[in-house]
Amino acid sequence: MLKIDHISKQFGELQALKQVTFDVADGEILGLIGQNGAGKSTTFHSILNFLNYQGSITWNDKPITESVFDEIGYLPEERSLMPKLTIEQQIIYLARLKNKSTKEIKPVIDSWLKKFAVKGNKKDKIKDLSKGNQQKVQLICTLIHDPKLIILDEPFSGLDPVNSDLLKQAILDAKKRGAAIIFSSHDMENVEEICDKLVMLRNGKIVLHGTVQEVRDSFGKTRIYVTTDKTIDELAMLPHVVAAKPLEKRRFVLYLDEESSGKTIFDELTNGQYIEEFSQQAPTLNEIFRRKAGEKDE
Amino acid sequence: MLILGPFLMLGITIGAGYVGASSGANSSNVAIISSQSTLRKNFLKENSDNIDKKVTDEKTAAKKMRKDNLAGYIVLKADNKQVTAKYVGTTSLSSSMKSKVNSFLAQTQQQLNMAQAKLSSQQLQALQQRPKLTEHIQEKAGTANLGKIISFWITVIMVYMILITYTNITAQEIASEKGTKVMEIIFSSTTALKYFLGKIFGVLLVILTQILVYLIGGWGAYIFAENSSLTKSFVDEYQSLINSVMHNLLSINLIYLLLGVVIYTILAAFCGALVAKVEDASKAAQPVVMLNLVAFFVTFPFQNNVDSIVVKILSYVPFFSSYFMPLRLINNNASVMEITISLLILLASIILLATYIGKIYQGLMLQTDDSSFWKRFKRGLSYK
Repeated sequence: MLKIDHISKQFGELQALKQVTFDVADGEILGLIGQNGAGKSTTFHSILNFLNYQGSITWNDKPITESVFDEIGYLPEERSLMPKLTIEQQIIYLARLKNKSTKEIKPVIDSWLKKFAVKGNKKDKIKDLSKGNQQKVQLICTLIHDPKLIILDEPFSGLDPVNSDLLKQAILDAKKRGAAIIFSSHDMENVEEICDKLVMLRNGKIVLHGTVQEVRDSFGKTRIYVTTDKTIDELAMLPHVVAAKPLEKRRFVLYLDEESSGKTIFDELTNGQYIEEFSQQAPTLNEIFRRKAGEKDE
Repeated sequence: MLILGPFLMLGITIGAGYVGASSGANSSNVAIISSQSTLRKNFLKENSDNIDKKVTDEKTAAKKMRKDNLAGYIVLKADNKQVTAKYVGTTSLSSSMKSKVNSFLAQTQQQLNMAQAKLSSQQLQALQQRPKLTEHIQEKAGTANLGKIISFWITVIMVYMILITYTNITAQEIASEKGTKVMEIIFSSTTALKYFLGKIFGVLLVILTQILVYLIGGWGAYIFAENSSLTKSFVDEYQSLINSVMHNLLSINLIYLLLGVVIYTILAAFCGALVAKVEDASKAAQPVVMLNLVAFFVTFPFQNNVDSIVVKILSYVPFFSSYFMPLRLINNNASVMEITISLLILLASIILLATYIGKIYQGLMLQTDDSSFWKRFKRGLSYK
């Protein structure tokens, strides 16, 4: 288990992290979200022991030092490999730094390249690969030594939907074999889809923390999705409806002033008659992200 | 290419020299012509260089001269009383050939004279007594001796060139890695100190390989020069000078060169890690290059003044000792104790510098602020 306990980091005048506390259990995926400059990368750098910080970070109750480096797989925010090396040389080089022998790694390279659908030959030079394929090779380098703690900084950025699915599957496979995974993302859909828990940072402070459902529910079920023949103006005039937005033909989302108003709306809309769709839900993670990001610090 | 460059240059020089020498060889030869075959044979027995042995008569010689294939010909004649030589040529006789001819004429004339005088064997022996010249050259302090001057220049230029090359390569390579995320991946796999020392060790192995290749190549070139007709006479003539230079180069000076490369490389790595961004990689080595340049030029005024206190002090100062201790060593001006102390200071400095820079290396490599030198340095220290 990765335990982050009240860590703080100051860069000159800038308080990059303030009393950040969370943990990631084995076989758990945690999504770290926040705007640019919120402190996500600083958190990762602290976990990886790149920085001096206040507080404590432990992996299986041990501080993160060289002795546990082999158990970590890290994908940095910007992709960077050694352009003059071939795919095979690059994967072997980084795996050997993780104490894996060439003998162990060489036979499995082909299957990993296939798994991530990397186009080209393992003898191709990194510099000759497309950006997407370079990114996939870097992901392979992060995962090939079967790390127990996986840290992925913006792993989905720049990936098309097909490759995003490949990555999601790889992350879920790692979860299945018991790895603790922490990743940052600006794509709330991905976070909602595969994360067990999430932490949102704003100006170095945690502003949201919990399972995805807990976080959504904490905002109240203030969204109603309806499919009806009523017009948008009629819907907007309903009591307790703050706003109404069309989604697709005859389908709308209504924003309520409070969760308890749902029953009143239901009665108004159905009036004892059939309604095709009526679903009261919490705001999406995307909406929550936008709202929390826009708030001011207390 | 870095290691083989000097050999390529040497090869090209020798090749060009050989082509030049062989193309001009025929036209600088002379022919020896004599109606007395014993006289011609005797001359050729003692002198075979620069002589066209195929030409035996004046007519052929004149023909060859017209075609510019022969520089001239010498006609040898001897009767009972006198031996004579007549030279006909398009250019004047070379001084070495002139002395060879004179020597041959004097020897043959002496034999004729002795035969004419009908002397007893005792008288003959007495006449053959020759004067004797012995040379005893005293070694001087300072580099007045040619061997020392050559050794000095070869050593300082070699140290300077190798240091410049390696500091530039190291600083640029490290600067180009700076700020790249591959460093984050590496530092999440191994400690910065290990990575840094690995890099320095790598450079050390490259320089060791280079020195080894130079030693083998230099030995090969020496063997070639010793046996090649082009250079044999030169090597024979300057054998003692060559031995003295080789003795100065293949000595503890090599250790100073090696350790000099290590300490300058460490400093170059530090400078490379301090650049603001990858684009500044080419400027990274400048401080080390300047330091090397200063050490190089400061050596010059002291080449004839090794007893100076400045030389003595700088031969213990890291970064300078790689120039100044070899200077003292060439002039036999340093005791074993002094060399040991100087080497220990250099080694200790290397260890301390490598450990300190290795410790702050991660911070320097991971921070990418485009601010002033000191701000970058301070920010780097806030990393681990």
